[in-house]
Amino acid sequence: MESLKINGVKKQFAAGIPATIAVLLEQLRIEAATVVAEIDGQIIECEKFAETKLHEGQSIELVRFVPGG
Amino acid sequence: MASINETLKQATVGIAGLGGLGSTVAVALARGGIGQLIIADFDTIETSNLTRQQYFTDQIGKSKVDAMVENLQRINPSVHVRGHRVKLTAHNVPEIFAEADVIAECFDKAEEKQMIVEAVLRRMDKPTIVSVSGLAGYGNSNAICTRRISARLILVGDGESGIDSGQILTAPRVGIAACHQANAIVEVIIDETKK
Repeated sequence: MESLKINGVKKQFAAGIPATIAVLLEQLRIEAATVVAEIDGQIIECEKFAETKLHEGQSIELVRFVPGG
Repeated sequence: MASINETLKQATVGIAGLGGLGSTVAVALARGGIGQLIIADFDTIETSNLTRQQYFTDQIGKSKVDAMVENLQRINPSVHVRGHRVKLTAHNVPEIFAEADVIAECFDKAEEKQMIVEAVLRRMDKPTIVSVSGLAGYGNSNAICTRRISARLILVGDGESGIDSGQILTAPRVGIAACHQANAIVEVIIDETKK
């Protein structure tokens, strides 16, 4: 089964991994404007989420911000 | 090797936002002997800010930058403070914090936190950014932690307690997060010089 490592935890996708970061965030119900995403240590800009394709075995860090400061 | 005090004195730290987090980080770092601080905020002090922010009643109505420059000078006159009364954007962040070794993200809104972390990692080569997500409410002190996400990104907070879920901001819990931030900044500065 295809998998991604998300925030250090291996996650398997029975129907194949999501096509892009945008699709992944949609599946996780996370609002894109509040997330910083890194793929294999490389920062991906929010505006490129829809065009950034995901590949089997990648390691993804999703940092989700909640308001307050 | 330089002494720790000398290392901290040589360091420059940027503080983005001077609310509950930023004002507390600024005070901790000034007392801790960081040599240069670059502070930025566009806002003025309101009465409601005094529940958790490091200002005084006679400073209500003043710009947070001007008031903090004043307060830091009173705390430690040997700290060089550069104040910017400006709204930070992805475009001006690299310029304003160009000389910073470390940047503290001390904004309120989630979108602005996202903006500056992305800008620092994408548009700047040097600084580490120490950001915060999840500090609202009270109690549960030990849920607030410091984690290194990647080479130049450190994240403080419990990751979930936001003011969007109706939780209030309290001086103690905001202070815990802010001191995690200040402590991580000191650690980065000292560790960097060992490399």
